[in-house]
Amino acid sequence: MTTHRKSVQAYLLSAPALVIIALLFLFPSIYNVILAFQELSPFQAPSDGTWVGLGNFRYVFSNPEFGSILTNTVFWLTALTVVLRIVFGLALATTLHSPVLQRWKVRGVARTLVLIPWMVPPVVAVASWRWLLDGNSGVLNQTLVGLGVVDSGIPFLAQTSTVWWSVVAIIVWRELPFVVMVLLAGLQSIPTEQYEAASLDGAGRSRSFRSVTIPNLRPVLTVVVLVTVIQTFNNFVYVWLTTGGGPGTFTAVLATELYSTAFFGNRLGAGAAIGLVMTVIMAVFAVLYMRATRSENQA
Amino acid sequence: MNTSRYIAAAAIGALAATLAACSGGGSAPDDGVVRLTFRQFDPADQIQGLVEAVDTWNSDNPEIQVELETVTPNNPQQFAREANSGSGPDLIHIALADAAFLADPNILLPLDDLMAEQPLENADGLLATEMTVLDGTTWAIPWTADTMALVYREDVLADAGFTETPADWPELLEMAGEITEASGGEVSGWCFSAGAPQNAAQWFPINYYMWNNGFQLIESTDGEWSVGATEAELAQTIDYFNSFFTEGITPTSMQALTDYADPATAAGLDEGTCAMTFMPPAAFRTVQAQIDAQIQTAPMPGGLDDGSTHLGGRALGINQNSEHPDEAWQVMQYLLSAETFGTYDQYPASASTLTELDVDPSEQGFVDQLPHSVPFVRYIGAPMTIASLQELVNQQFSAVYSGQADSATAARSIIETIERELQG
Repeated sequence: MTTHRKSVQAYLLSAPALVIIALLFLFPSIYNVILAFQELSPFQAPSDGTWVGLGNFRYVFSNPEFGSILTNTVFWLTALTVVLRIVFGLALATTLHSPVLQRWKVRGVARTLVLIPWMVPPVVAVASWRWLLDGNSGVLNQTLVGLGVVDSGIPFLAQTSTVWWSVVAIIVWRELPFVVMVLLAGLQSIPTEQYEAASLDGAGRSRSFRSVTIPNLRPVLTVVVLVTVIQTFNNFVYVWLTTGGGPGTFTAVLATELYSTAFFGNRLGAGAAIGLVMTVIMAVFAVLYMRATRSENQA
Repeated sequence: MNTSRYIAAAAIGALAATLAACSGGGSAPDDGVVRLTFRQFDPADQIQGLVEAVDTWNSDNPEIQVELETVTPNNPQQFAREANSGSGPDLIHIALADAAFLADPNILLPLDDLMAEQPLENADGLLATEMTVLDGTTWAIPWTADTMALVYREDVLADAGFTETPADWPELLEMAGEITEASGGEVSGWCFSAGAPQNAAQWFPINYYMWNNGFQLIESTDGEWSVGATEAELAQTIDYFNSFFTEGITPTSMQALTDYADPATAAGLDEGTCAMTFMPPAAFRTVQAQIDAQIQTAPMPGGLDDGSTHLGGRALGINQNSEHPDEAWQVMQYLLSAETFGTYDQYPASASTLTELDVDPSEQGFVDQLPHSVPFVRYIGAPMTIASLQELVNQQFSAVYSGQADSATAARSIIETIERELQG
């Protein structure tokens, strides 16, 4: 009886949290799956959806732009920005961790400055960057014209040769602090004795970096890459507010396509189908990535 | 253990009391006053006159008090969700183009019975009723009307030797080109926000051009929808607007803009580096107040030809869930009256009320064009929404401006996408 009572008590104590999880996470996820197989307008009540089987998925995949949209999402939006953030983030974290800054007594200030982009709301960040990159009065163009580098302003967000690089710059700038701070925390957790031992064995900076820093940061890097990939793949704000998917559909990504389909086309079901496709892609990525990194760690 | 139980009981009691208080807060106080919520979506800087009108109503009608609520930008889907769940404001501000989506007995109250019991003054003179009366049912009442008119610097045109605005689209291109050439490239003869995003304003002149040339994106024959323009017609339209960029008339930086009153455009008008553009009345007034230069309006090219420009605007509807539909109708009648437009700085969607307004001469272009404008009814009811059409057109025109595609390819893409969407 006592064991049974404790068991029941445990369930009762867990119930509120489980209910919250079910309501906030499980139910929306299940409903999204259901919605992906229904035809429903944003102007209808949820109960008015009609089942269309795989119709929404056929609609999504029959879009001739789907391939380029997927490529934009995977390569430009996600892969490139994640790689840049990891590289720049590691470089910056290493710099912030440097004893030189400590000797100069500016480490605290430097770390605070690094956080500034993160403190800026994404909407404000995009608005500021749009102003900086404006083809006429933007600071960057004013500078380039003033220095005689170009004769007239470059519409960075309106020409294909520059638009993605502009969006990438905005994303990296705004999201870099997260990577920096996590990697910095990882660096701080590495015992100094390991560097001392490596030094005694004749290892220089680069050898220590490869043999001590990187191996110790591997778990942190694994998590950072996973989190930033998922977050970026699903990101809607940066592209939408910067270019709306343009010029043409040059910067259209899955998230903007989902939004357009659901709220301009009034096809909630098709939008949910795109969302489900995105979820599946990320789930597959997560499984393969974790499996690959686990294998490397074991090796 | 007893203490824990008492604490738990107290917590539950507090939670129940809180929930009861929240649910009870929605009911009207028992003071005999009917309180109505009126939700509108225009920016705050455009509704000072409306605020005054509502305040006047509240002062004159103590038994019916209206609370003005602003939810901007327009979000008809939000209202639909609220109404479908049995909530939402009593009175709702609706873009004319959205009325068809909200024409549902679960969302809007059909107004025919109210109109029969308490007839609306000058109802026969209402504009754009084809957007609000669907299948014989009146779902909303057209309230305000607007259109895009040509906005220009008279002195800048004069410097290039022009005393009149362009009467048709070929003349616009020619005239804009001459203005730019005469200034040595310092002045953009025609400025238009040519961005790819769905909300880019280029959508309006593009449609005006098409309508003035006798074709449109989609058309309905006996309820069957199909593409309304040929590939050649669309390609020609694309080439026309692309000419402003290829001939150096419009700066390429305009390809990143969406708003018809973008700060870049306003600055261009102020500095005299933008000779002509287009805007609706509210934006014109805002820009006029912001800049030092004097700007004027005139009908768009072909704007005096019937059916060549759009009549946009707002309508008023009553939430199906309103507990006071009769009072809401009284308020609606007031909002539709000439008295409201004495302070509310919008053009009324009523031919008779429109004639009573004292219009600033600089806005004469709007007044001249409005009688010839038609709403987007020609696209209403299709499986493809106007919003999707707008997005598609803006994207494909932008693709040509930016060199991603030629006009024929873009035209073909527009047609193929429309055909695909019309199939449902």
